[in-house]
Amino acid sequence: MKLIGRAEDRLQIELAPREKDLLMQLLRLYPRIPSSYQPLSKAAEPEQSGQRLLDEALSEARSQNKNALQLLLADRKRLGQQGDHWRLHLTGGEVEWLLQVLNDIRVGSWIHLGSPELPLKVLNAQTAPDVWAMEIAGSFQMNLLEMLES
Amino acid sequence: MAETATPEILPGAGQELETEVKSELEPGYLVICWNDPVNYMDYVTHVFQRVFGWPRKKAEFHMLQVHEQGKSVLARESLEKAEHYVHQLQKHSLHATMEREE
Repeated sequence: MKLIGRAEDRLQIELAPREKDLLMQLLRLYPRIPSSYQPLSKAAEPEQSGQRLLDEALSEARSQNKNALQLLLADRKRLGQQGDHWRLHLTGGEVEWLLQVLNDIRVGSWIHLGSPELPLKVLNAQTAPDVWAMEIAGSFQMNLLEMLES
Repeated sequence: MAETATPEILPGAGQELETEVKSELEPGYLVICWNDPVNYMDYVTHVFQRVFGWPRKKAEFHMLQVHEQGKSVLARESLEKAEHYVHQLQKHSLHATMEREE
């Protein structure tokens, strides 16, 4: 995955076929963080209405992200094949949004593993899918961050 | 003509309501980010810059505080603003909460 062009706010990203396939497989996992997972406060008696509103807002945001993700990935003008490679066209805002989606997959996979200390000491058939998703999402995140800062 | 009933006002009741409203508007809520082993340091710095509009140096300072001390107080705000910031940070999957200032 590499940045091959930037014009104003638009980024042109090139993906090798294997990277494109990995990204597609990974994004199918979204959303990964369980709903009502994040508390608004650690206080013994948190404000209930605030917590409910937060849960609703996060749930709504994830639902919108999922729809937007499906539209983006189905749009051949945004993600299309060019020769042996794939080209992904995103605005800076969409890169930010994709970072959020990838981090949801990374953190959600870590939660599925039982929120362990990292690096994980035991890798087996049971933990491998979540470890895979966590690591691949992290790798794409770091690539995108580098692109934004380059 | 029936008289309009005058509501009985208990001593101190208005004051209590006023105090409650005032306390929600005052910057008495702390926005805290907690350490976790999963969020990348670069990503946390980036999110702080985006959510608070901070320069990179300030964002890195708070990220390191989270990493080294387990948490960092990012803002001291009214209830509404603190909720807004926590929501933004949680949208990015950071471990953030708001706590009433002691």
